[in-house]
Amino acid sequence: MSYDATYTRELPLVTSRADFKEIDQVLAHPTETKPTKGWWIAFGISFTALMIGALALTNTLYFGIGEWGNNQPVGWAFDIVNFVFWIGIGHAGTLISAILFLFRQRWRTGIARFAEAMTIFAVMTAGIFPIIHTGRPWLAGYLLPLPNQNGVWVNFLSPLLWDVFAVSTYFTVSLLFWGIGLVPDFAVLRNRTTNKIKKTIYSVASLGWTFSNRNWSNYERAYLILAGISTPLVLSVHSIVSFDFAVSIIPGWHTTIFPPYFVAGAIFSGFGMVSTVLIIVRKVFDLEHIITINHLEKMNKILLATGMMVGYAYGMEFFIAWYSGNTFEQFAFINRVFGPYAWAYWTMVSCNVFFPQLFWFKKVRTSIPITMVLVILVNVGMWFERFVIVVTSLHRDFLPSSWAMYIPTITDFGLLLGSFGFFFTFLLLFIKTMPLVSIAEIKAVVEGAQPSIHPEPHGEGGHK
Amino acid sequence: MIKKIVNFFREYNSRNDEERRTDRLYAVSAIFDTPNEIMAAASEVSGRGYKKFDAYTPYPVHRLDQAMGIKYPLVGPIAFTGGITGLFLALLMMWWMGSKDYPNIIGGKPFFSLPPSIPITFEGTILLTGFATVVGMLILLNKLPKINSPISDTEFMKRVSSDKFGIVIAADDRMFSETQVTELFRSLGASRIENIYYKPSNLTDKTPIFNRKFIMTLIGVAAIAAIVTYFTLNIVLYQVVPFDWMWKQARINAQSESLFFANKSGMREPVAGTVARGFMPYEYKGLPDSAVRLLANPLPVSKNVIEKGQEKYNIYCSPCHGYFGDGDGRLNDQFPKPPSLHNSKVLNWKDGNIYHVITNGQNVMPSYEGQISRDDRWAIVHYVRVLQRAKNAKDQDLPK
Amino acid sequence: MMMELTTPKKLPASVGKWGMILTAVGVIMGGAAFAVDPHRAFFGYLWMYMFLVSIGVGSLALVALEYLVGANWSTPFRRVPEFLAGIILLLVILVIPLLFGMHDLFHWTHAEAVAEDPILKSKEPYLNTTFFIARTGVILLIWLIFYYLFTRNSRKQDISKDPALTASSIKYSAIFAILFILTISFTAIDWMMSLEPHWFSTMFGVYYFAGTLVAAISISAFISVSLNEGGFFGFKVDDEKYYSFGTLMFAFNVFWTYIGFSQYMLIWYADIPEETFWFMNRMEGSWVYFSIGLLFVHFIIPFLMLLPRSSKVNPNLILYMSAWLIYAHAYDLYWIIMPTYFKDGFVFSWNELGFLVLAFGIIALVFNYMASRFNIVPVGDPKLQRGLYFHLN
Repeated sequence: MSYDATYTRELPLVTSRADFKEIDQVLAHPTETKPTKGWWIAFGISFTALMIGALALTNTLYFGIGEWGNNQPVGWAFDIVNFVFWIGIGHAGTLISAILFLFRQRWRTGIARFAEAMTIFAVMTAGIFPIIHTGRPWLAGYLLPLPNQNGVWVNFLSPLLWDVFAVSTYFTVSLLFWGIGLVPDFAVLRNRTTNKIKKTIYSVASLGWTFSNRNWSNYERAYLILAGISTPLVLSVHSIVSFDFAVSIIPGWHTTIFPPYFVAGAIFSGFGMVSTVLIIVRKVFDLEHIITINHLEKMNKILLATGMMVGYAYGMEFFIAWYSGNTFEQFAFINRVFGPYAWAYWTMVSCNVFFPQLFWFKKVRTSIPITMVLVILVNVGMWFERFVIVVTSLHRDFLPSSWAMYIPTITDFGLLLGSFGFFFTFLLLFIKTMPLVSIAEIKAVVEGAQPSIHPEPHGEGGHK
Repeated sequence: MIKKIVNFFREYNSRNDEERRTDRLYAVSAIFDTPNEIMAAASEVSGRGYKKFDAYTPYPVHRLDQAMGIKYPLVGPIAFTGGITGLFLALLMMWWMGSKDYPNIIGGKPFFSLPPSIPITFEGTILLTGFATVVGMLILLNKLPKINSPISDTEFMKRVSSDKFGIVIAADDRMFSETQVTELFRSLGASRIENIYYKPSNLTDKTPIFNRKFIMTLIGVAAIAAIVTYFTLNIVLYQVVPFDWMWKQARINAQSESLFFANKSGMREPVAGTVARGFMPYEYKGLPDSAVRLLANPLPVSKNVIEKGQEKYNIYCSPCHGYFGDGDGRLNDQFPKPPSLHNSKVLNWKDGNIYHVITNGQNVMPSYEGQISRDDRWAIVHYVRVLQRAKNAKDQDLPK
Repeated sequence: MMMELTTPKKLPASVGKWGMILTAVGVIMGGAAFAVDPHRAFFGYLWMYMFLVSIGVGSLALVALEYLVGANWSTPFRRVPEFLAGIILLLVILVIPLLFGMHDLFHWTHAEAVAEDPILKSKEPYLNTTFFIARTGVILLIWLIFYYLFTRNSRKQDISKDPALTASSIKYSAIFAILFILTISFTAIDWMMSLEPHWFSTMFGVYYFAGTLVAAISISAFISVSLNEGGFFGFKVDDEKYYSFGTLMFAFNVFWTYIGFSQYMLIWYADIPEETFWFMNRMEGSWVYFSIGLLFVHFIIPFLMLLPRSSKVNPNLILYMSAWLIYAHAYDLYWIIMPTYFKDGFVFSWNELGFLVLAFGIIALVFNYMASRFNIVPVGDPKLQRGLYFHLN
């Protein structure tokens, strides 16, 4: 490979060639030390936010959802906006761990574990909202296919029920995926620790993983299959979320491009959130040579691509609304762009389509401060996208006499803030208790980790 | 209390967990330093014909399974089986619940049809594929959990989990001989060779996690948790606003008292002169003759009307008049017995007369104007005629 | 570690010969179809044209995709889609007869119909002949420009081996990726969605886009695998290299299914007559069997065949399934286009078959011509060796 040019060569995945012991050291370090002051501050902030959310939730539960700004005709508002937003955040994790795995994008290794954890916590956060939105969340068991006291089953024609199945399957499969990734790493921690209690916990959590190659080969095959099923799963989940809107006949909701458009948006927002958090984490935990600037640049490219897909959908919706010749459709979109919520629409378009165009420049992609600003804008923009879809489509529909404005209440904001608190509290606990980066996977991609010889196989097969 | 718990953990922590090994040999292990060496070693060990050997690496080494001669065809089929099961279970569930057990018309859509069933079918397929893959891989194929295997807590394990590559030949291999294996490892350039002996607990088969006391404790905790949860959700929580199924509400029940109004009655009287919807005054009150002369049954004689009449008759008339108009109703002992409806007097009455009696009352019988609507009264008249005809049937009434 | 490249064998003369025969037969049958029933023949011709657009432009998109994601495995085979993209050169000529058939094809070109139809009237700023032809022209021009840019860089690199050319192609491909999605969407809307000018679906552009990817990867897989098995590349890679072809065919096909299902289900569920009639046309008469057939041809059969890992490294199976998916795409386009003409039920006869024959004749001729003039392996590409040494996992 003498004429290999620098930009076609893959950059090393782990900069500053670390040896395996050092990797153990670096990655196990956060779990083996007392939390730093920075961690406590971060935890304090997010825990406060969580408590504010808990207050808002208590208020909601005690007095009912009349405490929210929802009204007629805006029956869905912050609750569903937050749900879709957090579910979207969750998508990047599976995308990074599964789709990039299938595409053999080995740079995913540095960020996959972290992103998967984010998926789990984001789906947990998201799950809160539809449940409290039902008004009496302690009866949520009836969302499962159980007969009620009259023997009536759940409504299988309702996309809201599809959501129950999709989100719970997504959560379970993500948990399995994350869990089997953690098994060997717990085994590493088990062998490193001298604390008996920790050792017992790690032994159980690692299921007694022995690093045997006969286990590894089944493990790798299973990992591939899980990645294979997670990929369509991740597409299906946000598609089904989009069905909540698109199967209706509300102008602005009923458009056929919704499923892929929602998926692209979810990936976009998820990568935005992963970047936001990673930029901080790599700094705080000295992981800059494992989560490199190269990772961030690649993620920025994906942000650029998915941002444009979302932009395509905005444009196509608008065009077809005009092309359809349907007055209601046309009005819905004109109302979005020029109506009372135009500020939300333009926030969304600028944050999701215009600002990410800066990522065309390599200087911007590799600059941490600018990236930080842009990815936060992406988060803001994607939250507003859901707001635009949910609220502006509802507040003015077919019957002008029932038009109304939606104004969120303090409880709504409390719950929004609380959702961030909930998510970050879990994330911070994760950072302190489990290896942030898959130890086994990162070792496998270190230069020189794989043999350069391929001996011919002997024998017909091992023992069973 | 807290001190006790803390002390317990302190003590637990300081306990020496190094289990003494027995002198029964489990396997001979060797450590190699580079991935190339382990490839060569695995290939050689496999080539010599050893079957019960295994390589140990901190991460999956590419093509090492080929060098070891392992084939691993099973995870795929297990996953596929799970997926197929999920697919059919989901379809079956939706079909049975939605169109067999309790069909409900929703949005004018068929009870069961394919397009809207796809999402849940898909999720079911994925869910069971995922479970099958993980359970199949961890438990069926890899025989985990095995927390207390002889190889755990050894120096060998510490190294292969971190930065070295190991190989182990088990003592129960057909070709095993301690000296030969050691010699083989030495010739392959192993940097460290170690014999691994069984722990006493391996031989007595007592895994601490799976001993009976632990399992019983778990079951006990689970049972208590289940009972507590049941009582909390169904009994305790039930008493508390807002979990009480909206039993306690800020509203006035019918007939209840309210201090808000001067007469302390929670219910309000209608405004004077209010007429209920569909109310028509009865013009022949106390005028049976005009009623008989002027009233005619407005309802057609049809199956629906007669069935309606039957239903109302059975509800309102049969308690005294009996199901067939014989005057032998269920209230026989408490009220005077009414005359039969099949006597010649009633047989010769005009429809208007019967209607008038129902509406106005007669002798002991009160007015049913308030209970039975006009149309229903006329339907009852038809039904009474049906009863009379049935009781006095002629030959030509019988079906041929 | 360098794999020596030997001089590639020349393609057998039979490729060119068969190309000629198919083209000649196609031209005769197509000509006869026009002579018998020009109205019907225009629909058949449109079908062929869209099929060639899928393959030509889709192939160019595959080339761009390789640059964009930095794939190595496909570099040794990259010339195959590059050659196929040469069809774009012919599209410029092939589109001309269609412009004369617009009155036969498109209801919205009938001024008297538009005048009494308020919906068509409202669409007139977009659906009018002048703007339509202008759009088609611009879109073809964009494709030509990028075809030129990519092939120029690639051919230059054969001689200069200059890696900077790869860098410049990466830049082009980023721009082309955007333009490709836009142009292919509007091509779909103009040439196929507006056949039923009242119908609209935001997904339609994506639906056709998904179909083009299936067609393009399948034909690339078919040609690459047959050439590699025959040793025409001057190198021989092992079967494991086919894994990516198999996976991508599988993945793109599942993506197509996903898009197709979403579009159908959303319209089925909302049940608004102004949208459902398009599917109703395909559910009436014998079309219903054709529609159900689409589900099997384009999804169930390829899905089950390509699912096991072993089938993705089996050269024969890849050959069969790639041929099958090319057929599936033609089937799909037939399903989109023809019900507008055959309102009563499914018809397929020599009138339509001729155009399919012609399409394959054109593909064979273009490929043969390109292969005789240019290197069949991008010998100067810096990623070539890594592509040859590509290993799974």
